[in-house]
Amino acid sequence: MALVKNRTNLEVWLDVVFAIFLREIRSKFNDKLGISWAVINPLIFIFLLSFGRSLLGGPITHSMPTLVFMIYGMLLVRLFLMTFGNISTVIKQNKQLLAFRQVQPISTVVAASLFELLVIMFVILILFVILYLLRVDATLNDPLTVFVCIIQVWLLASSLGLLFGIASIYLPELDKMSIFVQRPVFFMSGIFFSLQDIPKEFWHYFDWNPILHAVELSRGAAYPSYITEGVSLSYVFLSTLILTAFALFCYQASWKEALN
Amino acid sequence: MIKLQNITKFYPSKLGNQYIFKELSFDIPTDSNIAILGKNGAGKSTLFRLIAGSEYPNKGRISTKKSISWPVALGTGIHPEMTGRENTRFIGRVNGLNDLNRYEKKVLLFSELGKKFALPVKTYSSGMRSRLAFACCMAIDFDVYLIDEVTAVGDPKFKRKAKKALTNKAKLANVIMVSHDMLEIKEFCDSAIILDKGQLTFIPNIDEAIDLYQKL
Repeated sequence: MALVKNRTNLEVWLDVVFAIFLREIRSKFNDKLGISWAVINPLIFIFLLSFGRSLLGGPITHSMPTLVFMIYGMLLVRLFLMTFGNISTVIKQNKQLLAFRQVQPISTVVAASLFELLVIMFVILILFVILYLLRVDATLNDPLTVFVCIIQVWLLASSLGLLFGIASIYLPELDKMSIFVQRPVFFMSGIFFSLQDIPKEFWHYFDWNPILHAVELSRGAAYPSYITEGVSLSYVFLSTLILTAFALFCYQASWKEALN
Repeated sequence: MIKLQNITKFYPSKLGNQYIFKELSFDIPTDSNIAILGKNGAGKSTLFRLIAGSEYPNKGRISTKKSISWPVALGTGIHPEMTGRENTRFIGRVNGLNDLNRYEKKVLLFSELGKKFALPVKTYSSGMRSRLAFACCMAIDFDVYLIDEVTAVGDPKFKRKAKKALTNKAKLANVIMVSHDMLEIKEFCDSAIILDKGQLTFIPNIDEAIDLYQKL
């Protein structure tokens, strides 16, 4: 007979996250393109949009190559949108897995968000190879800050996704509203522009958005000549901290009802 | 013994909270094979899911020292896009088995899926799906198996096999079963719990229980 291991709570939890992680990979990419699509899809997007942007604004934007300028915006915004979109539906989608008492809703959330992080890391790796082959002059002055920005955006997206996922259990109509989060983030996070392109008196329409801060900061961290006026890393940290804590509180308060 | 202590369970709805159980205390014995009998909507599946730990009561607690399986219903935890083998390994991982390869072989042998084991579950017939779900559960040692009408879709040959597997286990393990098929219940169970108006009654004799249930 198959023996069941004696596991501590943490081990059970890790096993479950790993199992769901594998399942996520297997079930999402079962056509011929397979998992490579997760990497190719953002690459196509990035190159098409940066091509369009360079037609409008020339090869150099704010002292950095337009391609690299676009890459930072697209990468972070895409990371946000994909993670947010996936996590806000993952609890509902994996509902039947909750029949196993070992599986808690948060395990599915953690597995899905780890998956998104893994995908973005792959995309970044391949982008670097492509930039190298294209001989684009890509400097990366302060990789650590760029890394911190990526992690912040990822955490922010996961927390917002979790909040949305919990809320839509009580209010199913919210699913249809998630587009009101996604569209503004796409257009207001500085994919196509820098905060410096906007007159100062209009900044307050844009600078509430931590994603914009992260995009600008990571551009500035890569190219010291890039001006990062009006954005702050502490603001990004603070909004991530508050949102993550709030999402976890809400989860803790409501997860047992979420199982119904 | 599975102890239900002061269980209250309700589902919110447009008409207010729909109570399934109110402050219910009951000890479910685990030394015989038990059928759960009750009308549609009496709360059989809810009781099942509470025992399995898939859902939690709004108040009260459920405690037991026995290891209890997940509620084996037709599609529990089976992903239609993944193959039978991948689904099996997923279930094995979640349940913390120490030898996944052995588990996989046992499930393959018991479910008799043969080559189909490597195909996505969406290509299976419903009988094959239930065989897979049942095999995944039977290949793990539990003290109590929770079975929700799974055996009903199998052909007679598989039913005999399931019956044999359950009888072999009967010395070490027990079954709690939900089914509307009285013949099947008579075959597998020797006692019953009747669920009516949020109250549970344990009846040690299955024939007596079925008589009572049919008079409800």
